[in-house]
Amino acid sequence: MTPLTPPPIDYAAVAPLLIVLGAACVSVLVEAFLPRHQRWPAQVALSVVAIVVAGVTLGVYAGDAPAQGVITLGSTMAVDMPTLFLWGTLLVLGFGSLLLIADRSVEPGGAFVASALERASAGAAPGSTTGPSGVDPEHVDRSYGAPGDAPTMQTEVFPFTLFALGGMMAFVAANDLLTMFVALEVLSLPLYLMCGLARRRRLLSQEAAVKYFLLGAFASAFFLYGVALLYGYAGSVRLSAIAEAAVGTDRSDALLFGGLALLIVGLLFKGSVGPFHTWTPDVYQGAPTPATAFMAACTKVAAFGAIARVLYVAFGSTRWEWRGVLWAVAIASMVIGAVLGLTQTDLKRMIAYSSIAHAGFLLLGTMAITQAGTSGTLFYLLAYGFTTIAVFGIISLVRTADGEATHLSQWAGLAKRSPLLAGVMTFLLLALAGIPLTSGFTAKFAVFSAALSDGMAPLVVVALVASAIAAFFYLRVVVLMYFSETPADGPTVSVPGAFTTVAITLGVVVTLLLGVAPTLVLDWAGAGGFTG
Amino acid sequence: MSPTNYLLLSGLLFTIGAVGVLVRRNAIVVFMCIELMLNAVNLSLVTFARINGTLDGQVMAFFVMVVAAAEVVVGLAIIMSIFRTRRSSSVDDANLLKY
Amino acid sequence: MIALAPLLFVLPALGALINFLAGRRANAWGHWLGVATVVASFVIGLLLFFETLGLAPEERTREVSLFDWIASGSLNVDFGLRLDPLSLTFVLLITGVGSLIHIYSVGYMSHDPGRRRFFAQLNLFVAAMLILVLGNNFVMLYLGWEGVGLASYLLIGFYQDRPSAATAAKKAFLMNRVGDVGLAVAIFLIWLELGTLQYTDVFARIGEVPGGTVLAITILLLLGACGKSGQFPLQSWLPDAMEGPTPVSALIHAATMVTAGVYLIARTSPIYNLTETGRLIVSLVGVVTLLIGAVIGCAYDDIKKVLAYSTVSQIGYMILAVGLGPAGYALGIFHLLTHGFFKAGLFLGAGSVMHAMNDDVNMRHFGGLGKHMKITFVTFGLGYLALIGFPFLSGYFSKDAIIEAAFAQEGWQGWVFGGAATLAAGLTAFYMTRLMIMTFFGKERWRELKGPDGKDYHPHESPATMTVPMIVLAFGSVLGGFLLYSIGLYEWLAPSVGELRELEGGVLPHALVPWLVVAFSLLGVVIAYLVVGRRPTPVERPSPVSVPVRAARRDLYANTINETLIERPGIWLTRALVFVDNRGVDGAVNGIAAGLGGGSGRLRRLQTGFVRSYALSMLGGSVLVVAALLAVRFA
Repeated sequence: MTPLTPPPIDYAAVAPLLIVLGAACVSVLVEAFLPRHQRWPAQVALSVVAIVVAGVTLGVYAGDAPAQGVITLGSTMAVDMPTLFLWGTLLVLGFGSLLLIADRSVEPGGAFVASALERASAGAAPGSTTGPSGVDPEHVDRSYGAPGDAPTMQTEVFPFTLFALGGMMAFVAANDLLTMFVALEVLSLPLYLMCGLARRRRLLSQEAAVKYFLLGAFASAFFLYGVALLYGYAGSVRLSAIAEAAVGTDRSDALLFGGLALLIVGLLFKGSVGPFHTWTPDVYQGAPTPATAFMAACTKVAAFGAIARVLYVAFGSTRWEWRGVLWAVAIASMVIGAVLGLTQTDLKRMIAYSSIAHAGFLLLGTMAITQAGTSGTLFYLLAYGFTTIAVFGIISLVRTADGEATHLSQWAGLAKRSPLLAGVMTFLLLALAGIPLTSGFTAKFAVFSAALSDGMAPLVVVALVASAIAAFFYLRVVVLMYFSETPADGPTVSVPGAFTTVAITLGVVVTLLLGVAPTLVLDWAGAGGFTG
Repeated sequence: MSPTNYLLLSGLLFTIGAVGVLVRRNAIVVFMCIELMLNAVNLSLVTFARINGTLDGQVMAFFVMVVAAAEVVVGLAIIMSIFRTRRSSSVDDANLLKY
Repeated sequence: MIALAPLLFVLPALGALINFLAGRRANAWGHWLGVATVVASFVIGLLLFFETLGLAPEERTREVSLFDWIASGSLNVDFGLRLDPLSLTFVLLITGVGSLIHIYSVGYMSHDPGRRRFFAQLNLFVAAMLILVLGNNFVMLYLGWEGVGLASYLLIGFYQDRPSAATAAKKAFLMNRVGDVGLAVAIFLIWLELGTLQYTDVFARIGEVPGGTVLAITILLLLGACGKSGQFPLQSWLPDAMEGPTPVSALIHAATMVTAGVYLIARTSPIYNLTETGRLIVSLVGVVTLLIGAVIGCAYDDIKKVLAYSTVSQIGYMILAVGLGPAGYALGIFHLLTHGFFKAGLFLGAGSVMHAMNDDVNMRHFGGLGKHMKITFVTFGLGYLALIGFPFLSGYFSKDAIIEAAFAQEGWQGWVFGGAATLAAGLTAFYMTRLMIMTFFGKERWRELKGPDGKDYHPHESPATMTVPMIVLAFGSVLGGFLLYSIGLYEWLAPSVGELRELEGGVLPHALVPWLVVAFSLLGVVIAYLVVGRRPTPVERPSPVSVPVRAARRDLYANTINETLIERPGIWLTRALVFVDNRGVDGAVNGIAAGLGGGSGRLRRLQTGFVRSYALSMLGGSVLVVAALLAVRFA
């Protein structure tokens, strides 16, 4: 019997991932052993330190990383230039989201409910959508503080965030489909839970969680079946092995294409693309806004990072077969997002449809199996993520007594009461619409030109039309804010605490910088291709 | 017996699971149908391992089981919490978010 | 000397900046600063011109690279200037006429509280226009193009409190955008095909581009030119743009900016040289426009609008000329220059009349003004003679040359182009004579009327700041054509737009054409005299009568041609166009919007909120994707 030799591990390369996952485990212990009142500061400090340290480690490693990347952990992880870029993107976006999640100044106790209140209102009549107003004092667990005290925050959201972030990082670096599946679940499961944690509007929040969970698990099953078929085809689930098998094998191509189709369905679901988007509007609307921000920004990065890698590394040689199908998917996604967004009345739902349209644009970049396509996609993800986080940060500030005011009519005339907020929101919406001097323009330009030069001109035309239609609903919000009369019982604009302020400022500054001087980041995004 | 039959069985089970998700109302049953789909995949993984003559597929089946178990934990927690709020486990009742 | 070149546009830009930023402190001297910067630019332009004149023809195209402007990936754009005969010609026109109009504005705007803002915007315009003509690449062209569009928008809407001015500004802006899209897409196409936007490289390598793409580029460039130059089908903003102050109409909407389209086509002549079809389309657009402008010009009573349609029509001539290719580029530029002189003079004259007549523009309220404002009358009259092509005045040289070149085309093109141009020359003579008679001759109808401000009219001559520029421009109108012709404008322009090809062949003998044109013009004058000059002009515009019989019984012969033949069909045409525009164009736009909205409203019902229906759509999508992929592979 041969001795079992553990595979060599390039610890320097995977250090950021290990740090985030390690911090997530520590975070669970903190949750278990620290007294309640100490948990919030401890969790915030731990998460922030973990993300910053991971970022620094990544920066140090990226400084002299080999240009062609390394494959480590027994060929399950490919740490190449796109991986490093995506990791960096995920870490900064995760940092921004974390700040929104940790903020307790806008809503007393933060947006995430403490379980005592949850249990308490569970006893209240079902159908009450305004949460703790119906709290029966008998049901309040006194260990969470007296009912009169300021409510405490549910700090379990921090380990969720860290686990999800770790899962996303593993997802974009996964070099085989099994690792990708496990990472998919590691990132998804905490997200399902985070959706259901809203302090107010509990019914909506829980409904979002159930929908996201059931559909997500459904999509995972498709993904997994795709993995199985590809395993049957190639005899291995390594991406490069599938690529080799696609060039010459005696197995039936039905396995290859059936597997690819199911696999890609699972991935498109995560990226909220095309006909697999149905969960997106409901979940975005129902989930607590900081969690939505995290999902919208980071999940998009993870999903499209993985799609790009799979298509590039494993299916690059068969692109002429699958491209037509993805064309249809991209068109469906852009049209659905742009057209359905027109009649939305809820701001979060509108941004959800916008993200579906953006997913279609992103698909253009991933379909172009070229260096320009990859770097355009990476840049787009970074730009879109920052803008989205800032948008949701702004949305969390406009409130009525019942919580966030997300209905569009409540935003009418907002510019008169808060010109600064309206101005920032306008800028961000223009960025989403892709107006020059914002990152949205540069990103669209990069992706569309890559698609154009890879022979997808008709698709680019559709994309331009779709973005023109989509611009309409962004501008509608702007018009509403500036040129409409304020309703009598309009919402108030909260003064954000330091955390939210930093997150929004970060988002706005990056959106502007990437629009004005995109060269640096574009260079970095184009530093190297995927390693198979 | 030809391994192909196992693949067909796996496909059949997967389809039954998928249809079950569509036709059943109870969230728990819907979820069990999804588990059935995962286990159908396990069957085909093991079959492919047999066809390929490698152990990879069997190991993967174990991975899938572990992941499925974790999914059960999270899923049941979510379903339980909404059941407590609504006193109903029908997925059709959770219908506030739409259009 | 060439180091001074950047100052050409930097000085006016500085003037604009200071006037914008200095606030009320600059009220006392801001306008003189504006004048000084433009005059200084003119002087620099003259210096550069004479320096260039001293060089051998093949050395006359010089480039100055100022700095790397955009350097991202494969896109490299210089901020560089191209000094060649074409751009220098424009520089002299812009700064020369610009200086005169700046001086004129000092007097014209003397009572306006917004004078400083006016000069800031006027300086901004000059700077942008100079960037447009001086740039050595398409991106700078586009920068200037948008800059003049902005300045034009601001200046049309200068009287912000008038709703009509705001509407006109918006209309101009929107119609210009349509053209700008064409220009932008053309630039994208060029970059896509050649990977460069420097004129030198593009013109050197344009031959590599496939013919279809070249045609597309030329048509898109033409669309840009149509928007900026008020050409068919984008002409209707230009008359409305007369809502701006009159000096603006003179400088921007007659002499310089609206000729940017002609510049664009002349500048890109190496591209147009490659495609016969592209040039034919250009000429057709020019012919249609010159007829439209001339016909509509006959129907208006608003002195500035008549001049505006005249501008539309004259630019139509230029576009026709540049569409004729190597036989016409220099002719188009020639007409552009002479037109710049006499049309600016005419507008300044109109402004002087308005100044005297309480800002009234309705010619039916004028009459007999020649006695009261002699300088204006004489200068305006000279401009009028130049415009209708009176022998040996400037319009005679430039317009006849274009008509000759048009008749020199073979086949139907010769007849259509030449015939239309000749006919329009006659119409030009008609409406300009009508304008002259209604304004400066006949009964002094204003004596019984009150002005639009409710006061009596007291016509008087304008101050010297206004009359001096008019006199200078009148000299230009009289002598400009002959001077430019005799000092060899065509040879001067040859390094930029190629040698002027000698005319040969054609459908009519060349010697006959000048006679024909003069005859037609004379006919126009005579008809105008017969229908307008011999009978008193009604103060109120006679409303169109519905049946010709009643018109005959009322003996409305004096107005017959004007109102029945031209205006009524004009109104019908306008109504029809409005109808088509409302129901067709707007209908399509609104229909698409409503369709999208309605579709969106219905489709969103598919988002039922039921998890199981979501799962169904996912399953359906998956089955489709699987089936499609397998079908692609195995079908």
